[in-house]
Amino acid sequence: MPPDVSVRDLVKHYVVPERAGGLRASFRSVIRRKHRLVRAVDGISFEVDRGEVVGFLGPNGAGKTTALKVLSGLLHPTDGQVDVLGFTPWDRRAEYLSRITLIMGQRQQLFWDLPAADSFLVNKAVFGIDDAVYKRTVDLLTELLDLGDLLTKPVRQLSLGERMKVELAAGLLHTPRVLFLDEPTIGLDVTMQQRIREFVTAYNAETGATVLLTSHYMADVKALARRVIVIDQGQLLYDGALNGLVQRYAPHKTITVHLEREADLPDLNGQAEILSVEGLQVTVRAGKDDAPEVTGRLLTQLPIADLSVEDPPLEEVIEQVFRGEGP
Amino acid sequence: MRILRIVSAFLRAAILKETAYRAELVGNLFRSVINIGVAVGGLAVVFSHTSELSGWRLEQAMVLLGVYYLVQGIVQTALSPSLNEVVEEVHKGTFDYVLLKPVPSLLLSSTRRFVVWHVADVMLGGAIIAIGLIRLEAQITFGVAAIFIGVMIGGVAIVFSIWLALTTLVFWFVRVENITMIFQLFFDTGRYPVEIYPFWLRQLLTFVFPVAFITTVPAQTITGREPLVAIWLAPLIGVVALLAAARFWRIGLSRYTSASS
Repeated sequence: MPPDVSVRDLVKHYVVPERAGGLRASFRSVIRRKHRLVRAVDGISFEVDRGEVVGFLGPNGAGKTTALKVLSGLLHPTDGQVDVLGFTPWDRRAEYLSRITLIMGQRQQLFWDLPAADSFLVNKAVFGIDDAVYKRTVDLLTELLDLGDLLTKPVRQLSLGERMKVELAAGLLHTPRVLFLDEPTIGLDVTMQQRIREFVTAYNAETGATVLLTSHYMADVKALARRVIVIDQGQLLYDGALNGLVQRYAPHKTITVHLEREADLPDLNGQAEILSVEGLQVTVRAGKDDAPEVTGRLLTQLPIADLSVEDPPLEEVIEQVFRGEGP
Repeated sequence: MRILRIVSAFLRAAILKETAYRAELVGNLFRSVINIGVAVGGLAVVFSHTSELSGWRLEQAMVLLGVYYLVQGIVQTALSPSLNEVVEEVHKGTFDYVLLKPVPSLLLSSTRRFVVWHVADVMLGGAIIAIGLIRLEAQITFGVAAIFIGVMIGGVAIVFSIWLALTTLVFWFVRVENITMIFQLFFDTGRYPVEIYPFWLRQLLTFVFPVAFITTVPAQTITGREPLVAIWLAPLIGVVALLAAARFWRIGLSRYTSASS
């Protein structure tokens, strides 16, 4: 089976007007604009198989949203090939658009003054959804998202989280096969983020839809995606399993020892840094390559009751990747 | 058939939205009546000093005013709300959702919103036309009525095209509210026959910004006045304007989809 999404050497450059702050610069820019080239996406390739959930990670401005917009047909790429479900997205063929959805956490499509149910009916007409299919889908979404009576309240009366749930439902009425979710949990409280995550997992399991999502929140990606794609400054830094990311990028390991009795710490040759000494518990950090040697030395020279070697937390690793401190 | 279903879904939502604010609905209807009352009163004042205005009699000028409100009502009910929405959505970035729908973007962008109470302008405009025609004791044959309707459709097409073209500028300049105000300024000149304006302005309003085809020409057609220009020009210009505006829209859109972020 061919992959649902296939991206080859995707490039998207923008030309944006640029001007310095201040009144004088403003006036000057009215007459003569300076422009700057932004390499939002600069040659990335990847594939996503049917039913996969893939997390797009990257700092602000990394090119995640741009990539999703190209995939959903909103933007023409500067260069490269993209194939989603056998279509070229930016042709924006009706057959294509009825098979995908792009849901943006920061942009709403529902009528503000009306209950969501009324907006749903508009989408039903626009996508040409059968009555029976429509009813089944709304029932499924109501159950998975626990919509209850949210659909009959004017959207403006809903809380931020409730609105996001209803927006998600609106974007899924036509039962798309590929979901592009751009920051679906942004600005939501922790409980609601959790709900949205559970929903995406359940929806993916229920419908077998392919999901590509971007998020700022590591918890989102950790909970949802077994596979992550890390991009930064338009370039692909990593594509693979979530735990592989840690193994590859974590530059050090944390070694924690419990001593049987008090003892002087051995000389660590500057190969490790002592993070803390709390009673009989000592924590040191060693470079990934030095970790075995440091561990060995600790074992032979100290009366050890227990020893553990751990990778640093994922959040820390990601942050390091984004700061450009990769291996 | 599909298109009809889509438009009726939008229309339904629009009616629900308007009726959700009943006070506003009543207030706006009231404003329409006052507006049109004042305009007719203004005409009566002018014609109390003269029996003819550049060859137009009071009843003929009334018909023209009726055409003006009829067209304005159609524009404000069905066309400008949708197109204004485009401008707003491009600002907010939600225009993306329009492009994500499996329906031609121009169709969606021009039929999405209706401000239902403006239908009052359409009805009042029709009523003024009827009163004018009755007082003229005009003999309206089926043929004349058909030509009138054809010319009116041409006029509405011209208005829509201009408005669409101005809206399309949003893809380059992002802020275009002021441009649509300029349109309203020109359109307002359509309350009076173009003959009353000085030569240069008359030319401008006929050939550059063809307000003449929107009100003066239809009113001439049905009141039996000597037409300013050949009648068949009106629907022809309407069709040409529509095609040109649709083409311009596509150019703007391709700019949006290659440059937005």
